[in-house]
Amino acid sequence: MAVAFTNPSIETCTSLTKPFRPSLSSKNPITLKRFSVSSSLSSSALQMEEQQRENGPVVLQRPDCFGRFGKFGGKYVPETLMYALSELESAFQSLANDVEFQKELDGILKDYVGRESPLYFAERLTEHYKRPNGEGPLIYLKREDLNHTGAHKINNAIAQALLAKRLGKKRIIAETGAGQHGVATATVCARFGLDCIIYMGAQDMERQALNVFRMRLLGAEVRAVHSGTATLKDATSEAIRDWVTNVESTHYILGSVAGPHPYPMMVREFHAVIGKETRKQALEKWGGKPDVLVACVGGGSNAMGLFHEFVENKDVRLIGVEAAGFGLDSGKHAATLSKGEVGVLHGAMSYLLQDEDGQVIEPHSISAGLDYPGVGPEHSFLKDIGRAEYYSVTDEEALGGILFTFNLSSSVQLTQIAFKRLSRLEGIIPALETSHALAYLETLCPTLPDGTRVVVNCSGRGDKDVQTAIKYLQV
Amino acid sequence: MSCLSQLEAEFNLVLNDIDFQTELAIALRDYVGRETPMYYAERLTKHYKNVNGEGPEIYLKREDLNHVGAHKINNALAQAMLAKRMGRTSIVAATGAGQHGVATAAACAKLALDCTIIMGTRDMERQSSNVTLMKLLGAKENKLVQVKSVDGNFKDATSEAIREWVGNLETSYYLTGTVVGPHPCPTMVREFQSIIGKETRKQATEKWGGKPDVIVACVGSGSNALGIFHEFLKDDDVRLIGVEAAGFGLDSGKHSATLTAGEVGVYHGAMSYLLQDEEGQIVPPHSIGVGLEYPGVGPELSFLKETGRAEFYTATDQEAMDAYERLCRLEGIFPALETSHALAFLEKLCPTLPDGTKVVVNCSGRGDKDAETVFRLKHNNLA
Repeated sequence: MAVAFTNPSIETCTSLTKPFRPSLSSKNPITLKRFSVSSSLSSSALQMEEQQRENGPVVLQRPDCFGRFGKFGGKYVPETLMYALSELESAFQSLANDVEFQKELDGILKDYVGRESPLYFAERLTEHYKRPNGEGPLIYLKREDLNHTGAHKINNAIAQALLAKRLGKKRIIAETGAGQHGVATATVCARFGLDCIIYMGAQDMERQALNVFRMRLLGAEVRAVHSGTATLKDATSEAIRDWVTNVESTHYILGSVAGPHPYPMMVREFHAVIGKETRKQALEKWGGKPDVLVACVGGGSNAMGLFHEFVENKDVRLIGVEAAGFGLDSGKHAATLSKGEVGVLHGAMSYLLQDEDGQVIEPHSISAGLDYPGVGPEHSFLKDIGRAEYYSVTDEEALGGILFTFNLSSSVQLTQIAFKRLSRLEGIIPALETSHALAYLETLCPTLPDGTRVVVNCSGRGDKDVQTAIKYLQV
Repeated sequence: MSCLSQLEAEFNLVLNDIDFQTELAIALRDYVGRETPMYYAERLTKHYKNVNGEGPEIYLKREDLNHVGAHKINNALAQAMLAKRMGRTSIVAATGAGQHGVATAAACAKLALDCTIIMGTRDMERQSSNVTLMKLLGAKENKLVQVKSVDGNFKDATSEAIREWVGNLETSYYLTGTVVGPHPCPTMVREFQSIIGKETRKQATEKWGGKPDVIVACVGSGSNALGIFHEFLKDDDVRLIGVEAAGFGLDSGKHSATLTAGEVGVYHGAMSYLLQDEEGQIVPPHSIGVGLEYPGVGPELSFLKETGRAEFYTATDQEAMDAYERLCRLEGIFPALETSHALAFLEKLCPTLPDGTKVVVNCSGRGDKDAETVFRLKHNNLA
């Protein structure tokens, strides 16, 4: 849909999006739309929102040429980064048309990452949710846990590394909290022979010594960040500082659909293969579409990766599950979309957890990957227009009652253990992040009609979490 | 004896049973994640090019991408399905490195079977992360996987598992993890692992329109090796190379190089090569790759050695560790320390190969479980 600007004070912007499609042998027509680069924010963004509201939400550009999803998103960055972001955006657009690039990426996703990941019918989990009369939904798991490195993160990391290589950048930087994104980034840099610097809070480095070691084995340099609370948000600031200084030689691999435009769009497009495969597999398996999609939401990349393909299909329900930590009222959680307010964080306007003075609140979740005070702007948008629903699940619901696992004589607790449940019923140990999505099934399934097809994004495996699980459960 | 015959009969039935094969194929695809890719290791290939720019092309068969991270599940899942079909309700298995234990526990969870895994205390210490994984994978409601420990390591666990099975022949099923033990176990395990070789043939044809020239695999008892070799046994133009663990070195007496340094005898129900002293007592094996630490070897591999169809070499602990680090650095893949032995042998093999030789290495497992071991060893060395 074209939105033409009549305001002559800004550059002409035909705000059409070109979807980036790693080519499946699908018969989907590739819609040729183009971005033009616009690096200035102005009041016309608000004008545009007006127009879009009139035209109806579903047909909105996601994002528009300013990188906005409704009022969310954008590029709130120092002037020095504007050029780099524009360059990145043009590069991304041109590669979307580049058959060689697509072919190379497809080949790597297949042979290196192990795609396509299966859509697995979880028979025993389905059985578990059957009501006394034998009715209940059918549960399918999209097995991103089977990817190389054990999570969905690599889809984006590998594509961005390939893009960086095409741009002639030899140096990659990234920030990491618990180390998962750091390990994924270091992995792809090893694969492509790129220099890799990972910024990590000094506190996090102590708690995750093994991940630090892994990154170093992969040839990356891990730099300790001592400022602030020496955790993820400080590492992110340091990484941005590095990028500002070294923009010509360096590409910043952002791990989620957060950050300034074009990152939310780019990261979503690189993960969109998840949803595309799901559509194809659903068709093969039952000749239809999923009825409900469920995914955990930290920054929001695995959720956008699954949802994106189906946003235009109003008959597909989209459900995101955030981390409620110790509970929404405890003040110790990471449920941004439930409890946050609109503001700017890390270059984008979105919901975020902030106090009355606008200071960012330190979030909490037992799962490091969901422990982020912000959320991708597109999720904020989907929430506001009511296209997607967002709920939250506590640490305990995700991980479970203390007594259940090892003390067999106690009665089964009402709050079941998602982590343990999938391990026990299907022999799949999910990541703690993923466990949040799985935990929500307890609330969701009783409400669903018989035969409803639910696809849960099994975004990662839980090998990394077994120690946490044992520790937590031994209180 | 009669239960072995029964097992053999049942096994032969399922080989031809379309329903079983279909169900297995779906489980291998949707649960395990097959087919596994055959990955062209570009940077590793470049590493082995000589000064003229010549060298072999290295491909990795990515069994590390399977659910639970190794080739073990191909067999564990198929046998668990077989056991269920036979009406057995409980599974007993022995595990060394824990991969077979984890694979069996996962399969039992999926199929709602009781599960007892027996593991040596020494092994439990060295692969504690796998022990935790097994404990989390429960079978029936409120019943955990029982992990029983015995003093020692895999060979002791195996003896104990067989003892346990013999005590409960009607209801329990002994799930062998590898190609050792009495007939039909070696054959069965090989058949279920042979999917690796079948896929390899198909992928080689797709990728370069031919067959592999050389296939390399690590050898503990031999299941991953036979899994990839079996398809190509009759292709004399395909070289088959197995790499065993030389531990601290063949002369140190602390290794697991059964085919290189062992002699023929009977162990765990089969005649094969094994590491025995002058009195016929089993010599305790050693390797940094816990899954290779077995004093015996599958009888079929002994046969392939004697007939000269396959060649067997060794790699030391240090060479394996170096290979582990090399693959991390060059390809961003953490290989299991067992697999690292196969990769280590490339150092000696590649300089001898003509330009363009196609080498397929069975990347039998991922090395997340070994990061701590390597971490500790490196720190001790630096300290």
